[in-house]
Amino acid sequence: MNLTRRAFIKANAAASAAAVAGISLPAVATNLIVDQDKTKISWEKAACRFCGTGCSVLVGTQAGRVVATQGDPVAPVNRGLNCIKGYFLSKIMYGHDRLQTPLLRMKDGKYDKNGDFEPVSWDTAFDVMAEKWKAALKSKGPTSVGMFGSGQWTVMEGYAASKLMKAGFRSNNIDPNARHCMASAVGGFMRSFGIDEPMGCYDDFENADAFVLWGSNMAEMHPILWTRLTDHRLSNPHVRVHVMSTYYHRSFELADNGMIFTPQSDLAIANFIANYIIQNDAVNWDFVNKHTNFKRATTDIGYGLRDDNPLQQKAANPNAGKMHQMSFEEYKESVAQYSLEKTVEMSGVPEEKLLQMAKAYADPDTKVMSLWTMGMNQHTRGVWMNSLVYNIHLLTGKISQPGNSPFSLTGQPSACGTAREVGTFSHRLPADMVVAKKEHRDIAEKIWKLPEGTIPAKPGFHAVLQNRKLKDGVLNAYWVMCTNNMQAAPNMMEEGLPGYRNPDNFIVTSDPYPTVTAQASDLILPTAMWVEKEGAYGNAERRTQTWYQQVSPPGESKSDLWQLMEFSKRFKMEEVWSDELLAAMPEYSGKTLYDVLFRNGQVDRFPVEEARELNDESHDHGFYVQKGLFEEYATFGRGHAHDLAPYEHYHRVRGMRWPVVDGKETRWRFKEGFDPYVKAGAGFEFYGHKDGKANIIFAPFEAAPEVPDGEYDLWLCTGRVLEHWHSGSMTQRVPELYRAVPDAVCYIHPDDAEARGLRRADEVLIQSRRGEVRCRVETRGRNRPPQGLVFVPWFDARTLINKVTLDATDPLSKQTDFKKCAIKITKA
Amino acid sequence: MRKLITILLLTGVIALAHGQDNGDQAGDPEAGGSSNGGQASLRGLTQLDVTKKADAFKRIPKDRSPYVSDYVYQPPLIPHRIRGYEISTNANKCLSCHSFKNARDAGATKISVTHYGTREGQVLSDVSPRRYFCLQCHVTQSDTAVLVENDFKRVDSLR
Amino acid sequence: MKQLIKLFWKRLSSPSRAAAGLLLGLGFTGGILFWGAFNTGMEATNTEAFCSACHAPIVAEVRETIHYSNRSGVRAICSDCHVPHPWTDKIVRKVQASKELVAYAMGTINTTEKFRQRRGYLANREWQRMKENDSQECRNCHNFDYMDFSEQGQRSVVQHSTALASGEKTCVDCHKGISHKLPDMHGVEGW
Repeated sequence: MNLTRRAFIKANAAASAAAVAGISLPAVATNLIVDQDKTKISWEKAACRFCGTGCSVLVGTQAGRVVATQGDPVAPVNRGLNCIKGYFLSKIMYGHDRLQTPLLRMKDGKYDKNGDFEPVSWDTAFDVMAEKWKAALKSKGPTSVGMFGSGQWTVMEGYAASKLMKAGFRSNNIDPNARHCMASAVGGFMRSFGIDEPMGCYDDFENADAFVLWGSNMAEMHPILWTRLTDHRLSNPHVRVHVMSTYYHRSFELADNGMIFTPQSDLAIANFIANYIIQNDAVNWDFVNKHTNFKRATTDIGYGLRDDNPLQQKAANPNAGKMHQMSFEEYKESVAQYSLEKTVEMSGVPEEKLLQMAKAYADPDTKVMSLWTMGMNQHTRGVWMNSLVYNIHLLTGKISQPGNSPFSLTGQPSACGTAREVGTFSHRLPADMVVAKKEHRDIAEKIWKLPEGTIPAKPGFHAVLQNRKLKDGVLNAYWVMCTNNMQAAPNMMEEGLPGYRNPDNFIVTSDPYPTVTAQASDLILPTAMWVEKEGAYGNAERRTQTWYQQVSPPGESKSDLWQLMEFSKRFKMEEVWSDELLAAMPEYSGKTLYDVLFRNGQVDRFPVEEARELNDESHDHGFYVQKGLFEEYATFGRGHAHDLAPYEHYHRVRGMRWPVVDGKETRWRFKEGFDPYVKAGAGFEFYGHKDGKANIIFAPFEAAPEVPDGEYDLWLCTGRVLEHWHSGSMTQRVPELYRAVPDAVCYIHPDDAEARGLRRADEVLIQSRRGEVRCRVETRGRNRPPQGLVFVPWFDARTLINKVTLDATDPLSKQTDFKKCAIKITKA
Repeated sequence: MRKLITILLLTGVIALAHGQDNGDQAGDPEAGGSSNGGQASLRGLTQLDVTKKADAFKRIPKDRSPYVSDYVYQPPLIPHRIRGYEISTNANKCLSCHSFKNARDAGATKISVTHYGTREGQVLSDVSPRRYFCLQCHVTQSDTAVLVENDFKRVDSLR
Repeated sequence: MKQLIKLFWKRLSSPSRAAAGLLLGLGFTGGILFWGAFNTGMEATNTEAFCSACHAPIVAEVRETIHYSNRSGVRAICSDCHVPHPWTDKIVRKVQASKELVAYAMGTINTTEKFRQRRGYLANREWQRMKENDSQECRNCHNFDYMDFSEQGQRSVVQHSTALASGEKTCVDCHKGISHKLPDMHGVEGW
């Protein structure tokens, strides 16, 4: 009996994995050996499906179904703990409305944009889809096809998608939902350090003396990291926790110094702290002189709105990212305008609170960990803001050492691993390379065995631009995978929905569940999820983790990876490449994209026998697909400070933090003794920049694009809640999580409610200049906004708060500011 | 003239939107087709461009018997209301009933021994600070029907 | 009482009626004015606005609680719980409060930080006072004799029918922090 044998192999694998890790598995992690076959549960590790923390879980399966999950006791990230979402992972795949077959909009037995969804075969689905792609390519060229992907794709899926789009279709119009989430963080890293992702790691939690949360609500959004922070704070009375936000939330429950600031004034606060450090002679001169340069940002750069938007036209230097050299004296003068008095006035934070925080940073004996996520990234000056916090750590030399750590938390489980490291952005290639640079394209083309000039040099359409281009009819064949962008993207009524329903366009959505994105599209592809496929994720501390497929997907569902590879079989090279390009490698004539991209002697290098018996993609394609893709991808980073371990190794351990050199992971980058890439004797080396130095970049306060006025008189801030993951397509289908937080409510100050004649639970109409939604008000919930601001979470498909939000982005990172726009509220 | 056309068009759009408001589920195939293609999502069959009425505000039952777990490592759900229960650096209201010390007198479920372990697996004499914020794992349940049924199946021994 | 009035009337009736009338009128009006002013003063010092002058953060906290907003709209304000209802007790408490005027003048709790630090002291004093008077201010509204256990939650029934019924515990022993955030609860019985 196959199943029993498989279970046996799995149990052995888990035990051997534990042995390699040097840890004996606790009783819970082994098979419960009982005499009856049916009481056996086999346990295997997997990375949690939800946030960027990257917890490891043990998944219990029996008779081909997941029957239990638990926190992985040996995983260094979470040591046996999960948050409420993680504990209910066992149910996310079993929502009753899981999609079973492809669904195509049809009328009279044929595809019709205005038809209703009807089940079709995979063959029909791909036939129609390929026809639309070919038509678009033929009439308008590669820029008319595009893809919207995900920081929840596995590493291999993101890599395959990126390769298919950039090398296969020769279109850079691929962007991940990580654009909504981490793009400003990337921008900050690249400008300050020249290399992406945090220098520190989660071990900083056990080493810091003070924590500063810049707009992050870790208690709900990174609950397991919050347990580590809480553990350290409560176990060590000297530790202090500073929490900043535009409204009171659960993280304030642990705050020694809680601060509510006026939206956008974080720019002033960060500059004030730098000013305080200089005024109080707390600059670490030795560090600053040896390891930093001073720069200033180009200012008045607009808001990433459509070019014809008046706000955009008013900007002197729209979208300009150029930095200019400056001296320390000039820097000092620039931050001097952010005096204590002025910052108090701008931010509304009391003097003593600002000082308390500034002192923590200035005190050379206090190790400070700064933490942030969407508050700082979803910000029209998010790239600036990221760098402003790095400035503080660089001025004091509090960086790249245990406990001294500016730490950009990640939203999604593989925003780092897939979106950033693989480079699934419209401007990027693997290992921090960019399409705009010839030498980078050359490297990618060489590794991919493609003729020179295959990859287009012009960056493609980023997330928000994709929706605009769909609406404008420029982007016509569009594939959305592993994300629910109709619900997630800003300004749905003016951009997203008209774009998807534009008669010129054909929209495909791959998802396990019927999301609103699926509803708005023309073809829905049923998709295998999480442990229904083998995969790898990379978390916020550069930790790469893998898992094996553990159950089969329902119905005809297939993984994103399978879909990408199968779809590539439908294209002859002659249909996607020019004669000129094909002439450079005539051996590719007559072949398919599948042959060229995936049967290139590299991706198909590992025989199917190496794969598990349960590995749908490998058995369908005849080679160990995941390993082949991972290993080809890893060649980009090895020797270039992005080294990954051999694929098999990740299956034996609970992840490793890159760069992995000589079998050893790196915990603190840029610091001699920790990072093998730092030259001996350098002390620190920020090798992302040629001169080995980091940039201290001055940028001023600039106002938000839309602020409350007489008519739209309230700030709207959107975000998540602990119990739901993103758009709720998984968690809203878990009864316990649904019942815990069933509806999106509008958190509002009781005085603001009273002034509008509202009571708790009243239904209200929330309106902006762009759209409206209805929901109920909560005056005493977990979030307590100050007067003048409301908070509405975006998980609820019935509310769709992004009908209201503004599609203003950071002009540099192109990431939307989902935290600030002006609305009005009336009783419905 | 252009202005007039804009106004006319706008009025038309508004009228259309208003019309759809009345028929929550009605699609208009003449104007670009139904936005959901007849496929339901978590918002049901309400068209995407329609402003859906808010569902009723949910209540949490005051007190009920403990929920049964579906698998061994499921954190118990909170079977009672917790309005005003403070968990902060000052106080933990949950522990005032559920701690080993107080559980019996309070007639409450005692917290699991797992909560005494540190990250390193050392057993402490009191609840580990890493478990301090109870609501990260334990949540209340509102008294409402689910949006979508879940087909998860318990193992035989728990059925 | 009747006797007293009779006697009073008799004495009034003997001297000049006009003078007596004037006296009476003045006295009566004065009395009313004094009584009115006194009570108005007492009432004024019982309003939320007055309390907020020093205890603003605490007064704001009440808004989230069941004593501010609930199913039936019955509301307790600061003085309902913190100022005794019987007249003499009330006067005693008000006299004590003169000490608090000094605290006000000295700015003992005029910043959030000072308030936070003093919160434990203030809370303990109230808990002690209520423990001593058997939670009288709770009982002004929540009368044990009229509690319908069949309408209470299981958890409440257990405690109310035993510890509270026997007098072993009084309301405030369990119901701490019901209208305000709590101070550091280390060492507090039951926590």
